[in-house]
This record gives sequence, structure tokens and C-alpha cells, in this order.
Amino acid sequence: MTVDAAARTEAVTAIVRRVLEAPQAGPEEDFFELGGDSLLATRVLSAIAREFGVELTFDDFLMAPTGAALAERVAALGAGVRERTVLQVPMAEAPAERSEVGA
Amino acid sequence: MTRAVVVGAGLAGLTAATALARHGVEVTVLEARDRVGGRTRGIEVAPDAWADAGAAYLGDRHTELHLLLSELGIKTTPTTMHGASRFDLGQDARTEAGRFPPLAAVALGDLFDRLAELTARIDPVAPWRTPGAEQLDRQTAAEWAAEQLSHPDARTFFPLFLGEMMAADPAAVSVLHMAFYLRSGGGLRYLNAFEGGAQQDRVAGGAHQVCERLAAGLGDRVRTGEPVRTVHQEATGATVVTERAAYPADAVVLALPPLLAEALSYQPPLPAPRAGRHTTPGCAIKVHLVYPAPLWRRHGLSGWSVSATGPLLSTVDDSPADAGPGVLTGFVTGAEAHRFAALTPEQRRAAAEAHAARLFPELPPPTDCLVTDWVNDPYSHGCYAALLGPGDWLAHGPQLAAAHQRLFFAGTETSTEFFGLMEGAIRSGHRAAAQLLATC
Repeated sequence: MTVDAAARTEAVTAIVRRVLEAPQAGPEEDFFELGGDSLLATRVLSAIAREFGVELTFDDFLMAPTGAALAERVAALGAGVRERTVLQVPMAEAPAERSEVGA
Repeated sequence: MTRAVVVGAGLAGLTAATALARHGVEVTVLEARDRVGGRTRGIEVAPDAWADAGAAYLGDRHTELHLLLSELGIKTTPTTMHGASRFDLGQDARTEAGRFPPLAAVALGDLFDRLAELTARIDPVAPWRTPGAEQLDRQTAAEWAAEQLSHPDARTFFPLFLGEMMAADPAAVSVLHMAFYLRSGGGLRYLNAFEGGAQQDRVAGGAHQVCERLAAGLGDRVRTGEPVRTVHQEATGATVVTERAAYPADAVVLALPPLLAEALSYQPPLPAPRAGRHTTPGCAIKVHLVYPAPLWRRHGLSGWSVSATGPLLSTVDDSPADAGPGVLTGFVTGAEAHRFAALTPEQRRAAAEAHAARLFPELPPPTDCLVTDWVNDPYSHGCYAALLGPGDWLAHGPQLAAAHQRLFFAGTETSTEFFGLMEGAIRSGHRAAAQLLATC
């Protein structure tokens, strides 16, 4: 894996962790098995669009529901992760109550 | 012995009355209609097969409702959905594998991000104390959407989402009320979800049984056909006057939607109103399309649909759990409910059946089409719950659950937890009973 690919996987996985409020989620773990649903999937996709400038579809997400696989889809659509994007990956948004994303 | 009169035999009133009776209070429940249940109501779609014409769904977090169901020996049934969905969002009706609409996912994600950000800001106990509440209370959800949402798919989806979540036209509610409602119900995702969310289960045999059994437990303490007109408070007691009689009491629980509570006459007048000119009825009309069996399942369809134009903005399979008729419930919500309500019964049925035929051309015409109009129901005045418009939360929020001398207020709108849901009604009933008992 190149440095770029590793950084991209880490950045996308960070988005997944933030949306799911699952700080331990790994890049190979399935989003839906981690408790994600379609509503939260769209929030991962909107964050990817903001950070990478790439608009994935819901079908893209269903075919690649892990941090690593989503990062590959991002790469396949021609966007590289930029250095400053990686540095700016937010660690946490305003700590929404746990109920915000359901149990 | 303390004497209490409870006005309203919906979930809130009957929960309060049951709690009061258990504590030795001599309680009388006055109900305007000839039935109990309020915004829960069963309709018999086939012999011994019931559908919910009003409140229907519950989730695991609705703990008081679950407790009550188990006390009453009533079971739940899951709302599991299998099969494909139909969407009519501008182009021709389309079939999709799951429940996800054929709209730009990134645009919907951006909408949900913005809603989640708003929702997280709300003070869930006292929404009027939310930082920046004045501004959130001043703006309507429609104005907010016009300002915040640029993608056409987000603009298409937003009113449908709000209609489904809270039976509201975005122009009728403040941003504060929208964000509060979403927060109160457990957050965007919980409120939206069937499995793992607020629509996970239905009450087997119909939610109306809850009130019927509570009323049966109270026996002749419940009097139906008693519309209350005036509530008098004096130094020594209170009197509740109906069209037929006057009921003296030491304390009164008004378990009514705020618009109905506001319409009663109070002697002396209440110091502060609980609704204002921007408070409007929740806009929900339920349409039950009855088929010999859940025929859509034979075509690999779940019965779930979403349409951008009415009348049936969404449909869901509400067939009784056991073998029997198929019931497709259509939701007519928000601004569409007002348009639909203005039609004659024949026109409503024709419009609903035409819409079903357009969405599901593979189905035969339904054998029956039952319409329940909550918007114009004089003794509910809206469903799911009252819609708080611009200025309402700041002006009336602090009074919604506040007792006034011998008067106590219940109803789902007086619960900041699960506002608008059956769970909120039950919690409000417990709270009002506890407030009253504390004064005995």
C-alpha cells in the first residue's frame, strides 16, 4: 500500500468512526455490522464529499461498506488525499449525545 | 379522600387516572367522545383484524409503553420489511432494492448533517433555554431549508422527511420545534428507523387496546360522551362542567392536546396560554387500503413507497401479523393533508386509489379504502401532535407542563421526552399524577 493509499484509508476510516461514534472501528469492519444504517451512510458520504471532493452514490456505499473499501472507491474516482486534508481530519465533532446515532 | 377529575380518556388521561386510583384518589374520567383512546384508534379491516387509524409504532426506548403493555398482557409484533420499495420522486415510479430513495446520497447526508447539528444543540429538558433559542424560535423550518439546502434532492426530500417524522408542513413549525421534536424522539436516526428505531414494533391487535384495557380497569369511573365546557377553580375546590353535569373535585388533570385545552373556558381565566395563534394541529390523515392478502409481497415488494406528490406521500405494510387481509397504510401529511382534507369522501377515495394504482400497477384495486382525518377531528385537533410555530416555544413552552393551583396538565405535548409519541403521553400521565399526589 502506498503512503497515499494508507493515508486515504485512515482518513475515510476516521470519518466512519466519527459518524458511528465508534472510536475503535477498524478499516476492514463492516459499517452495517458496526450499527450503521442508510441515514448514517449518507453522512459518511457527505463527509467524504467535503474532505475529498468526491461524490459517491448510495450503491457505491453498499458495495464497499468499510473504511478501506470506501477509500478505494474514492481513489478509483480519481481523487488523491491531499496532505492538508489528512492534517485537518477533525478528531471529533461536537459530542452529540449517544442517542443521536442510536443504540 | 381526594377527588380528582381527569379530562380526556387518551393514553395520558387514562395513565394518570390509573395511577391516581391506585393511590386511593376518587377519580372520574370525562371523555367527550363515545370511545376512549384519543389519538389511538382501531379500525376493523376484516372480521377480528385491526389496523391502527392513529398512533401505531413503538421502539425499545419506549420503556413506559412496554411496561404498560406487559402489565396489560398485550403483545407487540415487529414491523420487519422485506422486499423492494417504490419511489415516485419526479420521474416515473421506480423500484429500488431497499428503502433508500433514488436521490443524491451526498445531498441527503448534508441535510442530515445539518439537522443533526441543530438537534445536538437543543436543551432537551427546557428547549426554550437552548443557546440561541430566540433565533431558532423565530425562523420556520421552511425558511431554514430555503437558506441551508441548495441541492434539489435535499429540497425534495426535506418536506417528505418532516411530514413523516412529525406530520408537519415545514412552513408551520419553528426551527426550534423541529430540532426539539427530533431530539425528544431520540434523535434523527432513532426516530427515522424501523428496525432498531421508533417504528420497530406495532401493538399486536392494535394500539387502541391499551386505552380500552386501562378504561376497563377503571370501570364506571370513565364517562364517555361528556364534552367539558368550563373549569371553575375556587378557594375550596374545583368544578368541571360538561354539557350534562357539573363534577366537583379537589384537583383536575387536563389530559388534552394544547389547542383543545386552550379552547375550554376557565373561571377565573388561566394566567398564561398554552398555545398561540401560530400553534396548529399536526397534519396527518391515514388511509388504509385493504386487500384480500398482502399481495405486493408476491411481487417482491415490501409495500414501502415514497412519493413527492400526494396524496399518499408514503405507504407502509401494516397487515395484521397473522394470515388475513393485506393492509397498506398511506400517510397524507403536512400541507398535503390540508389539500386532501378539503376533498369530499368520494374524491378522497378516488385520489387514494388512483395513487395506489400508479405506484403499484401490479395490484388489483383495494377491496376497501378507509380514511381517518385527524386534522379536522374536533376532539383531537390534529395528529401526531400539536405543531409549535414561530414564537411558540419561548412564549408557551415553560407553561406546557406547569400546574396552576388545582389544575394539572398531561398529554404528549407536555412531555419533553418522546413528545408527540405514545411514550410521551404515558410519561406525561405519570408526571401529572405525581404532581397532583404531591399536593394531597
